[in-house]
Amino acid sequence: MAFRRPAAIIFAAGLVVVAAGTAGLLLTRHSTPAMRPVAAGVGALPAPTGPIVAPPQSAAPRPVAAPVSLTIPLIGVSTKLITLGLASDGSLQVPPITDTAVAGWYTGSPRPGAIGSAIIVGHIDTVHGPAVFYRLNELRKGDQVYVRRADGTLVKFLVTTVQTYLKDQFPTQTVYGPTPDAELRLITCGGTFDPATGHYVSNIVVYATEAS
Amino acid sequence: MRFPRITRTIRRITMLLAATALVLGVPAAAAAHASSATTGTGWIRLAHLSPNTPAVDVYLYSFGNSNAQIVLHHVAYGTVSPYEAVTAGDYSVAMRAAGASASSQPVLSTSVTIEVDHAYTVAGMGPEKGLRLQVMDDDLTTPTGKALVRVIQASLKQQTVKVTCDGKTIVPKASFASVSSYQAISAGTWTMAAVGSGGTATQSVTLAAGTVHTLVVLDGSNGLEILSLEDAAGAGKPPLGGAATGFGGTAPHGPGSPLPWAALIGAGSLLALTGGLRLRRHGLRSQLRARV
Repeated sequence: MAFRRPAAIIFAAGLVVVAAGTAGLLLTRHSTPAMRPVAAGVGALPAPTGPIVAPPQSAAPRPVAAPVSLTIPLIGVSTKLITLGLASDGSLQVPPITDTAVAGWYTGSPRPGAIGSAIIVGHIDTVHGPAVFYRLNELRKGDQVYVRRADGTLVKFLVTTVQTYLKDQFPTQTVYGPTPDAELRLITCGGTFDPATGHYVSNIVVYATEAS
Repeated sequence: MRFPRITRTIRRITMLLAATALVLGVPAAAAAHASSATTGTGWIRLAHLSPNTPAVDVYLYSFGNSNAQIVLHHVAYGTVSPYEAVTAGDYSVAMRAAGASASSQPVLSTSVTIEVDHAYTVAGMGPEKGLRLQVMDDDLTTPTGKALVRVIQASLKQQTVKVTCDGKTIVPKASFASVSSYQAISAGTWTMAAVGSGGTATQSVTLAAGTVHTLVVLDGSNGLEILSLEDAAGAGKPPLGGAATGFGGTAPHGPGSPLPWAALIGAGSLLALTGGLRLRRHGLRSQLRARV
């Protein structure tokens, strides 16, 4: 009689542990989905007003003022632009983690509205939630992007294409290389987030050209 | 074998749990894709660089389409249009005397194939009697930290000119209606000079790194002139790779590792099995039944 009770208890305890393990396994199999994107057009801003300056001529390039703010009405982006350089590793500097609500213009690229490809960079998210370019990949061909410059003039761009590139296959020539017209590149992160590195594996690049 | 049912049940539970753990533990493959990057367009610009040819109307036709896509009216000598982005493909460029009917026979025409992300200059070149349309494939890549400069010699009065940058020769002998190759030049503001046998023209030109320039040597009203064109511009010091622009706060999070749970299930199974075997060994069927 002395041996029966422990045996039954061991058997029952074993089943309880199996049940607990199964429950734990099943409860943790679900992925946490990405934050639900806001429907396109929701929270859209009015287009900014001001003199829109015509595209530059090939001859006698007219100097344009430095960019100060960016508005993308469709996805509710309205931000000042900070200036960015290169990080010590040669990569593009990004806005500081303390200021993820702003975008920045790479000062080594042409000014928006001048001939060439102007580079503007912003974060997709913080560690907690969306940042300035969270909805960038909702943009489609023909959508409007406005940049206001230090002299008050406004330059209007139209999106031509939106591309996603793996960071280890980033086409630097296509994105940063010379163009013969006034273009804009809006860059943020996208694709899969790798918790091991703390980085997204892809970049989203919005290409836009100055509206004529 | 007095407890076949209990033993079988335990075995079944264990196997089922093991199978479930295996299936659930298979990680979902994360699919990432790279896409090729283009909008399917290239660029073209049109120029009149024939000194003694009167103004012309320049037409750009998409191949096989009799309606012109672009018409530039009254284009005089020394005019270079801005670049226009057009869908890649085959085109023809036609020149007519200024004001001539669009349906009239062109003075001359040429075909040009526009490739994706390439830029072209189509210019009327040479003397009026030998007027031709020349298609130039314009460079859109620059050596890091440098600018590219080429020279189009369009002066008829000075058949041969030398072009210098701050006194240093960059094109020693440019003959009339020729186009030089691109020269890589350090960034900075330089004095460009076109030196002919009968005169010299100078022009201060700022060359930013990552830019492409064309200098056109023209017959001006008072001797040589230099038309300085900035053809294209990019980042002078291109960043390495993409940008680290996210911290993952909105990213989907994959399920955690199933291993600890599988280990727990395994340990529990072992425990249950031990208890079950011990029960069977001591032959306590009736007591067990009474208890259950």
